[in-house]
Amino acid sequence: MSASRPDAAWGRAGDLPDVSGRVAVCGVGEADHSSASGRTPQQIAGQAVERAIADAGLTPADIDGVMFSGGMGDSFDADAFRAHFGVDHEIWSSGQGGGMVWAGTAPVIAADALASGRARHIVNVFAVSWATQRASMLGGPGKFHAEERFKRNLEIPFGWFPQPVYFATIARRHMHEYGTTPEQLGAIAVACRRHANRHPGAVMRDKTLSLAEYLERPMLVDPLRVEDCCLISDGGGAYVMTTPERARDLRPRPVLVAGVGEGYAGAGQYWSQEPHFTATPQTFSAPAAFAMAGIEAADVDVLTLYDPFTIVALMQIEDMGFCAKGEGGPFAASGALDYDGGALPYNTHGGLLSHAYVLGICHVVETVRQLRGEAAAQVEGAEIGVYGGYTGHMASTLVLRRDA
Amino acid sequence: MAEFPLPDVEWPPTREFWAGAARGELVIPRCAGCGAWCWYPADACRRCGDARLAWTPVSGRGTVFSWAVVRRALVAPFASKVPYATGLVALEEDPTVRLVTIFAECEPEALRVGLPVEVIFRTHAFPGIEGEVVAPFFRPSV
Repeated sequence: MSASRPDAAWGRAGDLPDVSGRVAVCGVGEADHSSASGRTPQQIAGQAVERAIADAGLTPADIDGVMFSGGMGDSFDADAFRAHFGVDHEIWSSGQGGGMVWAGTAPVIAADALASGRARHIVNVFAVSWATQRASMLGGPGKFHAEERFKRNLEIPFGWFPQPVYFATIARRHMHEYGTTPEQLGAIAVACRRHANRHPGAVMRDKTLSLAEYLERPMLVDPLRVEDCCLISDGGGAYVMTTPERARDLRPRPVLVAGVGEGYAGAGQYWSQEPHFTATPQTFSAPAAFAMAGIEAADVDVLTLYDPFTIVALMQIEDMGFCAKGEGGPFAASGALDYDGGALPYNTHGGLLSHAYVLGICHVVETVRQLRGEAAAQVEGAEIGVYGGYTGHMASTLVLRRDA
Repeated sequence: MAEFPLPDVEWPPTREFWAGAARGELVIPRCAGCGAWCWYPADACRRCGDARLAWTPVSGRGTVFSWAVVRRALVAPFASKVPYATGLVALEEDPTVRLVTIFAECEPEALRVGLPVEVIFRTHAFPGIEGEVVAPFFRPSV
């Protein structure tokens, strides 16, 4: 269902080289996650990178590649790396990394640098201090949209802003088209919270949430409650990539990149004009990644999805083929997302809803930990893990596999 | 530049939309070549590429495509407006053209997908923010 739509021209898959088996993740780290902490993104990124390097059993001198988000002004680039660690060696760098969709596609760029010998160990890092910046509205997720002039002149005057309003409108339409219910959206939020309650680094570690409690909570932007929306956090994460050969000489069990995909929707950044209002470009990204990896949706043992809102997770689950389009609600409500016995253990660290809003980087960290068998909410015998990235009109899919 | 969240009615790509609203007319760019409605405004027709786009009055009728009810203001200027229903209207002339609007003159509970609606023009202003604008809202068709 999800792959064949009446109007297949509404989006497309990106054309990526086959990187299957060319990159391994050999180290992961997450910074301390919190509400407003006064920390800068650079400090947070530095802490995440320190931990990822230590996890790999490497030293800062071994890192000769840095990937970061070129789209954000306060990124942790090569100069920041040298300053933080007090080193002065040459470092290959790329701004096509960081979080969001790029947390999934960074290995494609890294594969090239590793193959050509430009770098041997590449760290991809992302950090934000949007909780700290929130009061001053200097940064945060709404800023980009507020500065876009069509949104500014045709959407914002009508109060169709910021993101919770967009996605409440999408959720309402999904409810109309497929009969999705608040209980089904709530099942996603509750699964994330239950997983976060097990994760030592999760912001919501100590706050439980039952479905009954979810349903009693007031609407923020009807039909979404606060519990349907991501946190706003200070935090970040990092992962270290190298070749599979080198990774096998390091301490952690290697996790291999098996497939990568990316997808684009035709209406660009204007959700209001999106022809397939209740779908995401995972429709195109996931099949491409699964084909590169030689797997099917049914082979996936653990799934992490960029989940700014419950409805975004639900749509991606459908669009990636884990259930038929429109059946994401009943699927989520069936208990499928639970780490302990669910058909599709999902966001086992708590996701953006309950772990921290660090834009997907720690979804990859969690997926790697699952495949190593080191996760807090460990999925028994997990061998194949998938991260789905989502950034408006773009999606990415990263398939990771435990080394044999 | 008008103060957020009022529109910048002088910004060329959307100037005619706001000028139309000021005189009580809902206008949308239409391609002189193939007749397609072109929304959001663009330099050329998205269907045929013709650059001859003319701001053209529409009936002001449509249906509710979807909506959200903002119960708690997420940005300060809207604190005086909550609760309000905002969302998308599919235009009668071409339902793939969706206008962002505020739904007025009805309880949010009365909204449903497909509900026939019609445009009304309202003076739109925010406490403490200089200026006002005439904006196209929609209400259930009478």
